Amino acid sequence: MDYLFDPSNWEWVTTDNNLRFLLEGFLVNLEIAAIAIVFSLAFGLVLALGRLARLRPVSLVAGIWVDVWRNLPLIFIILYLALAMPASWARAYEDVVPGFFPEALQSGRVFAGILGLVLYNSAVIAEIMRAGILSLDRGQGEAAASVGLTYPQQLRYVILPQGLRRMVPATVSQLITLNKDTTLVSIIAIEEVMRHGRTLSSGFTAFVGGVTAPVLQVFIFIGLLFVVTNFALSRLSRRLEVRERKRTGGTAGPVAGLEDQVALAAETR
Amino acid sequence: MAELWDVLSEHFSEFSSGFWVTIRLVAISFAIAMVVGTLVAALRVAPVKPLNWIGGVFVETFRNTPLLVLLFISFAGLRRAGIPIDAWVAATASLGLYTAAYVAEALRSGVFAVGKGQIEASLSLGLDYPRTLRYVVLPQAFRTVIPHLGSLTIAMIKNSAIVGVSLLALGDLLHQARLVNSRTFATDEVFFWAAVGYLILTGLATVAVRLLEARYAIRR
Repeated sequence: MDYLFDPSNWEWVTTDNNLRFLLEGFLVNLEIAAIAIVFSLAFGLVLALGRLARLRPVSLVAGIWVDVWRNLPLIFIILYLALAMPASWARAYEDVVPGFFPEALQSGRVFAGILGLVLYNSAVIAEIMRAGILSLDRGQGEAAASVGLTYPQQLRYVILPQGLRRMVPATVSQLITLNKDTTLVSIIAIEEVMRHGRTLSSGFTAFVGGVTAPVLQVFIFIGLLFVVTNFALSRLSRRLEVRERKRTGGTAGPVAGLEDQVALAAETR
Repeated sequence: MAELWDVLSEHFSEFSSGFWVTIRLVAISFAIAMVVGTLVAALRVAPVKPLNWIGGVFVETFRNTPLLVLLFISFAGLRRAGIPIDAWVAATASLGLYTAAYVAEALRSGVFAVGKGQIEASLSLGLDYPRTLRYVVLPQAFRTVIPHLGSLTIAMIKNSAIVGVSLLALGDLLHQARLVNSRTFATDEVFFWAAVGYLILTGLATVAVRLLEARYAIRR
């Protein structure tokens, strides 16, 4: 305890550019998370609809795809992609990545990380979305069909607005998990907060004439960055949900079943 | 195709030892997660405000911190601080406490599902609060949240791979796969067999949860 709270072990936070260095790394994590979230949601919806498709081969293929990706460890997927992804994919990524993206996201290496995050999370989110859609009463789709809406119209105007609303809490907790999982890309040598933390605590700061940054304190600090961001995210989503529930008269029950929605289901009860 | 089987037969001992390390890692962490998770859930539903608060801080801290950060703190961090922590202790404690936060939340939702009437009935029969939890609330809460606990266990199997890429060289399945890969450079084949290993584990866990669910789960 003495060691933990010893002021000299925390001096690194206020000296030199250490704090800035860490926060810059953390920003890279948030940016990777933001990109991965957008693609995971879009791709997840496609997979969910594929799995619910009336065409048997489509739903079968989508089902196998989803079950394989969501049952493999994410770090396994990222590592494999980093080792085995064709170099042409990385080059293609470098060609299409917008110039205003930060430097850490310009290199083709980061593509393996983003692709891994999207493959895994889109599969998980597809299952959440499917559960949301299936939790709707069958009558909704049948009523929509009987008033003459085509299948795409039923989805667009009747099923998705209700089904997707129900899966918001579960999706938000999965996105919080995704945010934590961005630290895994440090394994494939992308300069984000974990790497910056290791650089700081490697003794480098003392070597260049500054104060030492002990590894325990540096990583507690990094942990706090994630706790604060993720806690704020979950509070925000809860507030939105309560508001939404008041507006819609409280018909939307959260979907139960997968890894992280447990928490939100408990909180909103 | 022939090479696929060659990689497995030539390096079977590495793969199988990694497979068993992963199972051991998950089994120990699972025990920690269940015990600590139950205690924290009890804190969170206790009729004493400060206890609720302590439970809440535990859950929010461990649930919102990346597992990789927990591994760094518990291994490299504590060692540098002069506490000679064992790699197995660091790994199982990190994975166990991380999952315990989720287990606590799952159980808490299960406790709420039991209903106030039963708790009041039990208290009015003269059982004190710990006994009410032990004999009335928790047995039902566990059965309600079997599906949740099942998906947490599957998540834990997947998360155990993170230990394999951290500084703690325990030799789990992913760690062994990387080792074999660095010797053979047969990346596709090596990762194929590691994937098979993980899918066997998550698949078995899925089946086990379904059986438990059919036998014990209470639908509400």
